[in-house]
Amino acid sequence: MKDVSQIVGGLSRVPGVTVAMIVGAVDGLIVEASQVPGAQTDGDRKKHTAALAAYLYSKVTRASNAARLGVPAFMRLEAEKGHICVVGARDLVLVTIVTPDANLGRVRLEMMTAAREAA
Amino acid sequence: MEDARLISGVLLYPSGRAVGQFGFNNAADVMSICALTSAINASARELGRQLDGKPFYEMHHAGAERQVFMARASAGAQEFLFVGVFDRESSLGVVEMYFTEFQKALEKLRPEAPVTTPTIKPGGDFEGELNRSLDALFGPVGKR
Repeated sequence: MKDVSQIVGGLSRVPGVTVAMIVGAVDGLIVEASQVPGAQTDGDRKKHTAALAAYLYSKVTRASNAARLGVPAFMRLEAEKGHICVVGARDLVLVTIVTPDANLGRVRLEMMTAAREAA
Repeated sequence: MEDARLISGVLLYPSGRAVGQFGFNNAADVMSICALTSAINASARELGRQLDGKPFYEMHHAGAERQVFMARASAGAQEFLFVGVFDRESSLGVVEMYFTEFQKALEKLRPEAPVTTPTIKPGGDFEGELNRSLDALFGPVGKR
């Protein structure tokens, strides 16, 4: 089993991933995040994305359970300037911010593998 | 506050004097929460100073059903405390995020001079002070 730093480090090296984070599923707080050089607001941006992504994932899980589909395997939010991808790993969620031109199949595969390692 | 899914919350001066509240119907509850928050804040600051060399400004308590978030906010030189209650429908991360926005909005108000709370001396006008605070929160008696 890899530690959280190794998992985040591995995800942040996937082409197209600009930010990789491991977040508490219940509290929405960052457990580990990749270091991305950027503006001072980067910390707030990561914190807010982490909190909202974990919150959104909990609601998606509820919707999925209501539809009797079980636990969601992978969640992707497609936005104008990129994607937010989320995968659950027990009491953690893996969150990545991805560029629009990224290979989403590769990102999904790496995140699913990382989730198994984190759980 | 609705976005953060807070059930109730109070903004107060560090002295324990309430500035505004939502989610409470009982004035006594607000007064109790203000007094407790003020005391907890003072204790946490001192504890932080002793343990970490700097005061603790935020506190989170996760109960079985409900959670409490307390934090310091400021507008210019004026300092405030905020205490909010939320349940499992929200999360600490989300509450912190909206609190950051609230703090920024509060900062824009920037009162020119900080409000000084008069110290209540033994035998002072404690009852009058209490009634004024209650009136400010819930309206004058007879008009509620």
